[in-house]
Amino acid sequence: MPLQQLLCGLLETGVNQLHQLDSSAVKKRKQLDGTIIGASLKELNIPLYFVISEQQIDILTNFEGDPDCYIRVSFSALNKLQDNHQLTTLIKTGELEVEGDIQLVQQFAELLTNMDIDWEEHLSHKVGDVIAHKFCYHAKKLHQGTLKQLKKVEKQSALYITEEIKLAPSGLEVAYFSEQVKMLASETDNLIHKLDKHLNANELAGK
Amino acid sequence: MQDNPENTTHFGFKTVEENKKAELVADVFHSVAAKYDIMNDVLSMGIHRIWKRFTIDCSGVRQGQKVLDLAGGTGDLTAKFSRIVGSKGEVVLADINDSMLKVGRGKLRDMGIEGNVSYVQANAEELPFPDNHFDLITIAFGLRNVTDKDKALASIYRVLKPGGRLLVLEFSKPIYTPVQKFYDFYSFNILPKLGKLIANDSESYQYLAESIRMHPNQDLLKEMMNNVGFEGTEYFNLSAGIVALHRGYKY
Repeated sequence: MPLQQLLCGLLETGVNQLHQLDSSAVKKRKQLDGTIIGASLKELNIPLYFVISEQQIDILTNFEGDPDCYIRVSFSALNKLQDNHQLTTLIKTGELEVEGDIQLVQQFAELLTNMDIDWEEHLSHKVGDVIAHKFCYHAKKLHQGTLKQLKKVEKQSALYITEEIKLAPSGLEVAYFSEQVKMLASETDNLIHKLDKHLNANELAGK
Repeated sequence: MQDNPENTTHFGFKTVEENKKAELVADVFHSVAAKYDIMNDVLSMGIHRIWKRFTIDCSGVRQGQKVLDLAGGTGDLTAKFSRIVGSKGEVVLADINDSMLKVGRGKLRDMGIEGNVSYVQANAEELPFPDNHFDLITIAFGLRNVTDKDKALASIYRVLKPGGRLLVLEFSKPIYTPVQKFYDFYSFNILPKLGKLIANDSESYQYLAESIRMHPNQDLLKEMMNNVGFEGTEYFNLSAGIVALHRGYKY
């Protein structure tokens, strides 16, 4: 299907362009030189094959040989792939399935996601040091500001929902409610216990 | 193919003597070699990259295999194959035209592709390789320019390993009439002008348009492949049949 080839081509070009900017990418690719890794998202189930060589990464939609490693991963787990400690947890929860060398998975994830790109440096070649620095400084500020604002909005809307319009209970109310439920449960247990005891006593007396 | 008794063949819409065609085709490619890649991108609006990608996905090539990229020109397919077959594999880039071969070799070396690629100037009709040698042979946009296509296909069949496959990527006949109309307009009115503008060479691109019209259509080419012994032959129409990929196996 040509659409798949088109998307694949765009992805390949994108990844390789980013790798050109990343000074450590060559070293990482060298480690994986000659390996072929198959990967698919659980949600989409379209396999992609990553042919890694020293020069670049090639992405194929069809490969008839045996890849060195095949990964099936769910979308939500993509971020956690880099972390070595989480791999086993992901496999246990079924978010990640691996056939083949598991060590490759982590190296591969690092290759794709952990790019060390100095944007300011690359920008400075185009527009000069001062503007590049100013631009990156403000971009960083903006990013931080947005994050702060987002957190604030989140907090405020939570308060609004729990305190103003009483749509949802607050944390303390929930805790109090669950405490009550727990007590009720234990009292019911007690009652059942007592009833059992009485019934048993009656039965014995009846005999 | 459509040879008449006086040993002539077609060169675009012209009829020329059979032994002259190779020379005339060679002139075309000597003249366009330097700007070949740019022209490909401009004339096909970049779509040729998708066609080639599709070809690679259909190739089923693996590590350690031997691949022949026939009429490989500037080495687009060779570059990919070289990375896929890895250090144990082998890719041969063959072209009849030494200008194209030189451009291709220069490009691949610049990309850092070396070691498993070799370059051979060869005529597709008489391939200088032993029998049963290659796992995969591709000929992308080259069969059209071969004088005796049946002979070339037979020669390809000979050097292919049993179990190997041939992929022919070539211009073909659009399957919808409106596409055909637009395509004709584009190739006879716009294409030569673009050729003039960018490569300063309108005749070569006039030849390109004409030679496409003279090339056998999808079913005829499939028939020709079957005639020399290929089995399981099938074709995929790409971009509404402007290009078709034929695939045949040798068992």
